[in-house]
Amino acid sequence: ANRGGKQKKGNVTSEQEEEEQPLQAVLVADSFNRRFFPISKDQPRALLPLGNVAMIDYTLEFLTSTGVQETFVFCCWMSNKIKDHLLKSKWCRPTSPNVVHIITSDLYRSLGDVLRDVDAKNLVRNDFILVYGDVVSNIDVSQALQEHRHRRKVDKNISVMTMVFKESSPGHKSRCEEDDVIVAMDSKSKRVLHYQKTQGLKKLQFPMNIFQHGSDEFEIRHDLLDCHISICSPQVAELFTDNFDYQTRNDFVRGILVNEEILGNQIHLYVTQDGYGARVSNLQMYDSVSSDMVRRWVYPLTPEANFTDQQGQGCTHSRHNVYRGAEVSLGHGSQMEENVLIGRDTSIGANCHISNSVIGNNCTIGDNVVLDRAHMWNNVHISSNVEIHQSVVCDGAVVKEAVRLNKQCVLAYNVVIGPNLSLPEGTVVSMHHPEEEEEDDDDEFLSDDQEVGHTFNPAEVGPEGKGYIWKASMNDTEDEELAQCLWGRPLSKQNVCKVVSFQLEVLGTLQRGLEENIVCDNLVLEINSLKYAYNITLKEVMQILTRVVLEYPFQQQGTQLTTLQYTGSLLPLLKTWSPVFKNYIKRAQDHLDCLSAVEELFLEQDTHQTAMVKVLMKMYQLEILEEEAILKWFSTGATNDKSRQLRKNQGLQKFIQWLKEAEDESSEEGE
Amino acid sequence: MELQAVLMAAGGGSRMMDLTYNTRKPLLPVGNKPLIWYPINLLERVGFEEVIVITTKEVQKMISTDPKMKLDVKMKLDIVCIQEDAHMGTADALRHIQQKIKTDILVVSCDLITDAALHEVVDLFRAHNATLSMLMSKAHEFTETVPGQKGKKKNGDFVGVDGTGKRLLFMANEADLDKGLVIRKSNMRKHPRMHIKTGLVDAHLYCLKKSVVDFLADNRSVSSIRGELVPYIVRKQFSKSMTSPNVNDEADQKLKKKDGNANVEIKILSRDEALLQLTRERSCWNDHRGDMSEAYHGGRLRCYVHIMDEGMCYRVNMLAAYIEANRLAPKLFDEPAVHPSAAISVRCLIGADSIIGASCQISDKASIKRSMIGASTTVREKVKVTNSIIMHGVTIEEGCNIQGSVICSNTVIGRGADIKYCLVGSAQRIEPEGEHTTAYYCLTLPSHTQVPLTSTLSGNSRVAKIQ
Repeated sequence: ANRGGKQKKGNVTSEQEEEEQPLQAVLVADSFNRRFFPISKDQPRALLPLGNVAMIDYTLEFLTSTGVQETFVFCCWMSNKIKDHLLKSKWCRPTSPNVVHIITSDLYRSLGDVLRDVDAKNLVRNDFILVYGDVVSNIDVSQALQEHRHRRKVDKNISVMTMVFKESSPGHKSRCEEDDVIVAMDSKSKRVLHYQKTQGLKKLQFPMNIFQHGSDEFEIRHDLLDCHISICSPQVAELFTDNFDYQTRNDFVRGILVNEEILGNQIHLYVTQDGYGARVSNLQMYDSVSSDMVRRWVYPLTPEANFTDQQGQGCTHSRHNVYRGAEVSLGHGSQMEENVLIGRDTSIGANCHISNSVIGNNCTIGDNVVLDRAHMWNNVHISSNVEIHQSVVCDGAVVKEAVRLNKQCVLAYNVVIGPNLSLPEGTVVSMHHPEEEEEDDDDEFLSDDQEVGHTFNPAEVGPEGKGYIWKASMNDTEDEELAQCLWGRPLSKQNVCKVVSFQLEVLGTLQRGLEENIVCDNLVLEINSLKYAYNITLKEVMQILTRVVLEYPFQQQGTQLTTLQYTGSLLPLLKTWSPVFKNYIKRAQDHLDCLSAVEELFLEQDTHQTAMVKVLMKMYQLEILEEEAILKWFSTGATNDKSRQLRKNQGLQKFIQWLKEAEDESSEEGE
Repeated sequence: MELQAVLMAAGGGSRMMDLTYNTRKPLLPVGNKPLIWYPINLLERVGFEEVIVITTKEVQKMISTDPKMKLDVKMKLDIVCIQEDAHMGTADALRHIQQKIKTDILVVSCDLITDAALHEVVDLFRAHNATLSMLMSKAHEFTETVPGQKGKKKNGDFVGVDGTGKRLLFMANEADLDKGLVIRKSNMRKHPRMHIKTGLVDAHLYCLKKSVVDFLADNRSVSSIRGELVPYIVRKQFSKSMTSPNVNDEADQKLKKKDGNANVEIKILSRDEALLQLTRERSCWNDHRGDMSEAYHGGRLRCYVHIMDEGMCYRVNMLAAYIEANRLAPKLFDEPAVHPSAAISVRCLIGADSIIGASCQISDKASIKRSMIGASTTVREKVKVTNSIIMHGVTIEEGCNIQGSVICSNTVIGRGADIKYCLVGSAQRIEPEGEHTTAYYCLTLPSHTQVPLTSTLSGNSRVAKIQ
């Protein structure tokens, strides 16, 4: 903690000018995503304990030890909690070498907002370090800082950012799948030429212009772990202001690289080989960082160091990396095998077997308990005969007798589980009901009063259990879309919304077309422009169009129509709009897609199935659909029972029969 | 015998037709030795005792009859002639001599002049039991002005090597990469740190496994080593069928039976000998760090490249390279710069960096600097030759000034001619007192006569007579 004082005394005099200004840092104590839900519903991510110390403390310790003298902490989600925590911590003592300013606002929705605010408030005067509140690191960035300053001096402010990476091979467990990046760099100048997240990509593409920068040696590196530590020039904040669409650092980096020729800004990187730096961006990472910490990879930030300087936090370190806090009692025959950290006032029963685990303060653990890679926070009660594997148990949770938590389970705050239950892999239990409306931020305190209408399901959480199964699985099974989401909705939802609103727009267009008697060509034009506005594929356009048209009678006259009424009103409409259809249905695949859309609709409207044959007939007569396509659809399209059932419809059978005969006839005629 | 050397000397030198019109490329004089001498000498230096030379009848005849072309080499030359007009590529040539190939081979092109430590390339081949190892060097910026040529051609080879700088991961030409460089992620996972190097020249020196020659024999569509075979092998390093570890003999046979195509694919497998395989399994050695997979990730094809950092390495396939090679070649051998049989006047000035060929006559007050004078050339009084290449049998009359030019054999330069940065074809007559700058005086082709690339022929100069 005291390394800040001695930093870089021996530096060259020319740099003294800059040295006089204290090094500043911007710490973003919010992730702007919901990866840690439901845990972070009750506690902001930066305050989640890792090795019994809040994550933000690691970040602050890292900044201080690297020589930062002024840190701006930006909080949004549950800012009060973070503020309280910091005010109580050693960072806000008058002796702290690192002055911490806390800036809170509910309006921050992304890193971009924070940096725009930095610019608006004119907080930074010089190069600063940008870091998230969940970064655990012991990297000494002063070397990188020096390189950064040197570059800026030589190149007249061309370099705006130096990103810090740690070398680690692909497949290393501290690498986060979501953060997997590929970087193309200039070997000599260490300039970043291309930066891309690789998740979900099979082939990596590099534009040729990046190799035409005069240098003849480049490196493409996939062995880098993004530490999410960046050294930024003051222009970074300005650039965020200028480009209001930059949300994340990723946007920024890509924007700078793409517009390099226009703006003339460059990004460099700094690769460290021996330091440790990782961002706890999901539970997988939480697990790996926590175990690295216990295994002393983050030295000097070790559990027994008590760097937060809090009373009673100290613990002893004995061999096999077993750490014990004060007043820990261990029952007869219990074993702490290796890499175990136990907080103060925790009591452990007899014949327990504990390995690779972190146990918080004031926990009680019964007899015959097996813990492996368990992360237990404070005030957890574990009864006897419990087995926990690679799971997180949050504050105040109670695990009753003979419960087994399989891999990657999460018990959020104050959940009660059991007795006699085995939670399947990846279960997340929370006191928050999954359908609970995502309320405002002031709903931050535990609501152990359940909402009316929700009762605990004993099958899920055990006879005496309290809690609900959280819908989205939290761990690494996470779909990649969620990784991209910022504040709020994952992309998949947006996609659905997009389709729904497109559908409404199409409906509106058609309606207006009828009322105002607009020519079909113009309707097509309008739908096409909508297609671009909503970024909808052609296939989707056709399916949605089909659906809208077929649902049109229901839309206009209510769903209580009889089949006869339905066909009566639909068939003229089909005739009116047939040019629209013809415009979109051209290739063989289009025909099949259209047919499957028709089929889908009639599967839903199963009372009107008899109308289907009439619709098909009409569409055939109007030459919207070709007989070959219909026959093909009929013979191959059936994928499940329902659609097979549909195909047994007598009318349809007859229609198909008729089509076949017609075909035979026509082919005979042809001969 | 560990390696058989194969020298490819059938190329016509199509990229410098002006020079090779009368003299075949292998016989072009460089430092008063035919070009082909250099690769042979290179092989001899490292201890090869025999080399298979693939060349044309014409070249063979010249080597065996013309005293000027005599190669004073001790090693045994096994000369194989191919028909000149058969349009055979280098791979075709290898296929042609397949019967003679008993072991792994070292293929050298006849236009390579290098002082590279050949063992580096061979050691890579040995150490990794590689399928292919090759030599590359930094591309040279040719500093000298090239006669009759302006502007530079850019060589756009892209080469990807792994962190050690030895394993060749991909190879492409810039022209083929118009859609950008595409790398499979799985390859990046195996070789997370890839160095991309541009501005390299391929020395056209390859160590190849015998199985590759067998592969060529089966696969007749491949006709060039550099153009097709090497890129193919480099690419195949990562294809699935090549990396699957349990391609045992049985599966091998099955595949062979399946169809010709699979046959082709599988044959190129350099099957590790069982003992080697066992050694690798038992040893803790690995070619990479960072993941737990076996050495070479179970791949069976491996390509390596040695990239020369310093030293000289030229491929004499263009005029610029030819001139540069002539300038530097004398440093490669320690023979006297002036041939003993040359008759040199005492009162002439000959720079230390010049070479005078056999039975030359250099008269009084001639000054020769940084130039090569071929055999039986006559240089009369007060002639100044700077930075030039004069081939054999040339007569330079009194008072000529020749600078930065190439004068091909049997040409007569008239008295007092002033020739700067010109290329003069063989058996030409340059009229006296002419003044010529940056021009071609070429050949016997009428269509080719006098192609001044720049119009700097001064007004009063009379145009040289072409034959």
